[in-house]
Amino acid sequence: MHKYIFRRILMLIPVMLGVSFVVFTIMFFTPGDPARIMLGERAPADEVALLRTQMGLDDPFLVRYVNFVVNAVRGDLGRSLVTRRSVAAELFSRFPATMQLAAAAVLVSVAMGIPIGIISATKQYSVFDGFSMALALVGVSMPNFWQGMMMILLFSIAIGILPSSGYGTFWHLIMPAVTIGTSSAAIITRMTRSSMLEVVRQDYIRTARAKGLSESVVINRHALKNALIPIVTVIGLQFGYLLGGAVLTETIFAWPGVGRFMVDAIRQKDFPVVQGGVLLLALTFSLVNLIVDIMYAYIDPRIKAQYK
Amino acid sequence: MRFAKSIAVALVLIIVAGTLFAAGAKEPQATKTQNRDTIVVAMGADARSLDPHETNDQPSARIMKQIYSTLMHQTEDLQIEKGLVTDYRVVSDTVYEFTLPSGVMFHNGETLTSRDVKFTFDRMREKNAPAGFLMAALDRVEVIDDLNFRMVLEFPFGPFLTHLAHTAMSIVNEKAVTAGGADYGRSPVGTGPFKFVEWRAGDSITLERFDDYYRGPAQASTIRFRFIPEDANRAIAIETGEADIVFDVGPNDFANLEALPSVITSQITGLTTFYMGFNAAKAPFDDIRVRRAINLALDVDGATEAAFLGFATPADGPLPPSVLYANQDLDGYGYDPAEARRLLAEAGYADGFTTSIWTNNNPVRVMYSEIFQEQLRQVGIEVSIEIMEFAPYLDRTALGEHDMFMLGWVTVTGDADYGLYSLFHSTQFGDAGNRTFWGNAEVDRLLDVGKTNPDPAQREQAYMRAQEIITEQAPWVFLANRDELNATRNYVEGFIPHAAGHHNLYRVYNR
Amino acid sequence: MANSTADNDQPVVKATPTPNPAGTSTVQTHPKTPKKQRSQWAEVWRRLRRNRMAMVGLGVIVVIILTAIFADFVAPYGFREQNLRLRNNPPSREHILGTDDLGRDILSRIIHGSRVSLQVGIVAVSIAVIIGGSLGALSGYYGGRLDNVVMRAMDVLLAIPSILLAIAIVSAFGGGLVNVMIAVGIASIPQYARIVRASVISVKEQEFVEAARAVGARDFRIIVKHIIPNSLAPIIVQGTLGVAGAILAAAGLSFIGLGIQPPTPEWGAMLSAGRHLIRTAWHVATFPGIAIMITIFALNLLGDGLRDALDPRLKQ
Repeated sequence: MHKYIFRRILMLIPVMLGVSFVVFTIMFFTPGDPARIMLGERAPADEVALLRTQMGLDDPFLVRYVNFVVNAVRGDLGRSLVTRRSVAAELFSRFPATMQLAAAAVLVSVAMGIPIGIISATKQYSVFDGFSMALALVGVSMPNFWQGMMMILLFSIAIGILPSSGYGTFWHLIMPAVTIGTSSAAIITRMTRSSMLEVVRQDYIRTARAKGLSESVVINRHALKNALIPIVTVIGLQFGYLLGGAVLTETIFAWPGVGRFMVDAIRQKDFPVVQGGVLLLALTFSLVNLIVDIMYAYIDPRIKAQYK
Repeated sequence: MRFAKSIAVALVLIIVAGTLFAAGAKEPQATKTQNRDTIVVAMGADARSLDPHETNDQPSARIMKQIYSTLMHQTEDLQIEKGLVTDYRVVSDTVYEFTLPSGVMFHNGETLTSRDVKFTFDRMREKNAPAGFLMAALDRVEVIDDLNFRMVLEFPFGPFLTHLAHTAMSIVNEKAVTAGGADYGRSPVGTGPFKFVEWRAGDSITLERFDDYYRGPAQASTIRFRFIPEDANRAIAIETGEADIVFDVGPNDFANLEALPSVITSQITGLTTFYMGFNAAKAPFDDIRVRRAINLALDVDGATEAAFLGFATPADGPLPPSVLYANQDLDGYGYDPAEARRLLAEAGYADGFTTSIWTNNNPVRVMYSEIFQEQLRQVGIEVSIEIMEFAPYLDRTALGEHDMFMLGWVTVTGDADYGLYSLFHSTQFGDAGNRTFWGNAEVDRLLDVGKTNPDPAQREQAYMRAQEIITEQAPWVFLANRDELNATRNYVEGFIPHAAGHHNLYRVYNR
Repeated sequence: MANSTADNDQPVVKATPTPNPAGTSTVQTHPKTPKKQRSQWAEVWRRLRRNRMAMVGLGVIVVIILTAIFADFVAPYGFREQNLRLRNNPPSREHILGTDDLGRDILSRIIHGSRVSLQVGIVAVSIAVIIGGSLGALSGYYGGRLDNVVMRAMDVLLAIPSILLAIAIVSAFGGGLVNVMIAVGIASIPQYARIVRASVISVKEQEFVEAARAVGARDFRIIVKHIIPNSLAPIIVQGTLGVAGAILAAAGLSFIGLGIQPPTPEWGAMLSAGRHLIRTAWHVATFPGIAIMITIFALNLLGDGLRDALDPRLKQ
């Protein structure tokens, strides 16, 4: 098992190298001259050229890439071209907001997804099944930015109980979390449903039923317990995705997260921020998955055996 | 399996705890807060840096305006008056002498002296400050004594004092700059009415009253700038009372806010000109008849009404009317498709031609483009629209790869030099600002006169004539001058909007 | 693990990045010989037909496809016909869904927009299926070092948040229909690679494949004749949900302003252009929003229905 964990951690190295290479390549092809961005539109061409040389922008592609990797390994992600602040400081000042939103969104999607999934599975093909699946799908079907706007109109203006945008208190968190949470609830619902459907067909559930246990005991005690494993995996994955994926919601609610910052950076050609930011998000994503997989392997002896 | 369950429970608990811990650390607050002492200002974007020599963007300038002072000061009606200085003397066309008041304090406790002024302008040049071009005429600053200094110009420069009033000319303190190091832009120190307290990246910047401000303490004790990118949400923030002042209300929201008794709206003529430029270096736009024909083929007023919902003045010439030396007697082009077709035929394009409009994804510019695409189709010109990202858009239009393009220009200084020179002088082709590549010897001469002649009467005369020629030659389709739309809660007193958007919040308070 | 439309901030949501040995939710088809396939598909159709929700979804999608095909005949006005005097008019007899901020008929633009949205969805998913599917098939079939390299490459793509990847691609190579489809497609390659690889691995050890190999069938033939048909089921499910994800992703790109160029009527672009008017002219954003919602909803219903119908473990 330890060998497995160690191997998985080692595997992160080529993946992170790959991530940095892909991002570096795309940014390389992105029009826009970082030196020009730093000096502004009005700077004379010779000064821009000088800064290009100083920044090593005239070096060949591979040299630049290797320099970037070497610096990154040393922990130096450079400074933002736009704010001139160190990339690490910029990212870490926004990371807590991102983590909060991702965590709260997962919470919402779990709170919606698991009950709906269970109901839907235990009453497969019933009106109830159809209705609850439909409910779970409404969130996923609305583009997030639209759903966000509608919620603001409802809860901030019509009812007037929630702040319309911003960051800082629990109340600010509710609408963005619900917006994202409802759109990923469908996945948890699906997973719960199919996982439950499989489990309830297992022999030991039949045995439990045959023993005369009540349906709710069968479902809650026996079926759910076993169905939970894959659901936990999906929850972990969702958390990983939401770290970088909540861009539109962050914009609508003026949420100061990493995702929106990254989009701005891509658009302003703030190359160091894009590179550092994607690395941070990719690393977090990979680590969350690693943890989930390790947990998973611990839980299920069959899997543990495979990875000995 | 008990293990699985406990893991699941633990995971959920961690998430809940994390969420509550991180999010709920502060007291829940109701949406409607009218805090007497704190003014909450909503604006569209975060500042980039609060070091005046690192950036020249509007969001940063709006905050630096409160933190720093400039030698000269531009009033809300665009008059130039003494700012930080108590006195100034124009010794000659190229020599100005200034006197500072004694006992002006920086936020770090240092006292302002002539050496700070010299340090500021030396550093601006050394750091290649993005706004440094405004001081291109300045050769050097000479310290006479603690409170007196001399600015020596390389050449006579008409709008020199005006440029000294620009927020980017804020005076910094050497000790503070050195102490701040590479992150000075995150710990700014000025002599302004408010001192920097906290910057929550992407969310807000908080400033606090500086009690030793040399003109006396400001009214409000705290100002919090909040960054809300969506127009609609900024308007909602003022409607719900989450913000006390909102900068840049969207035209769609303005009418809504006007109807609310709790909100006071303000509409003033701005300094922003929207235009569609032709690439005059390229056929067919090298032909003045084609440029004039397109001006005539477009229902600009209709398009402006659609794009701004009436919150803009249709432009008849290159300068907004509130700019110093704007020519108010220009007639513009009007809408005359028949005449447009005649001119096109005369130029040899009776059957029209195919071309493109480039724009960045600014909604107003895209809207104009879509309307013009349809209207030009009526006179036989097939237009494709290309929307691109702003940085490559600027790069490629600077290289002259475009046909027609949508841009705007803010004459921040309120002086005709700023509004005309970069855009129409033939030495300014490309990056410097003249993306039409249109030049005219007479206009060049007139703009040079306006730039270097300190005599207001002669400047005025030169600029009036230059604007006539530019309008007649039509390197642009003159679109509109946008109004500045702002709003405050009805209990906010003392807010006077500035046409350049750098609103001074010194006198603002909540009643 | 087909979790297509997780957060519609993301162009596509990714499949599990690690092998899922339990495979609980992966749709697995029992291997079958080509001969038996016809009856198997008939069985699937029979099961699908019993699922009312899925049939509703299917019906809606058929209607949308027909609308897209016959847009020129169905739409009452041209999608670029402007009338600046009729801006933001509410629904009326002449303009059933009202007019937008340039006085264009919203119904006509929604009808023409169905072409764009379907095109984006289908082409993006096709790109992902073709590239991802081939990589997954090769990787699963040959295994070994090739498998390792391909799967690490997929890990790389998975680890980059897909909306950021799509934005970066569009930002580097420009907006427009084609680039949007490519960007969204590339970002969803890994999920198909994983699905196909998993089913190839499960199929390739089966007797009938061994038999084909024994009689000297070439690799290519085995892949095309035996392996691909057997991985179709999970791809169909994932693809259906993927089309929904791609449409939402394109809408998201439009919101950021990196979408399809005007005057092409794309639903997401119409919705985001109309969002400023939500309080003064609600219909401008609402109807394109509803169009997106109905389409995504229908695709999800159908996708879920297909999953049930294709999953032999759920046979009753």
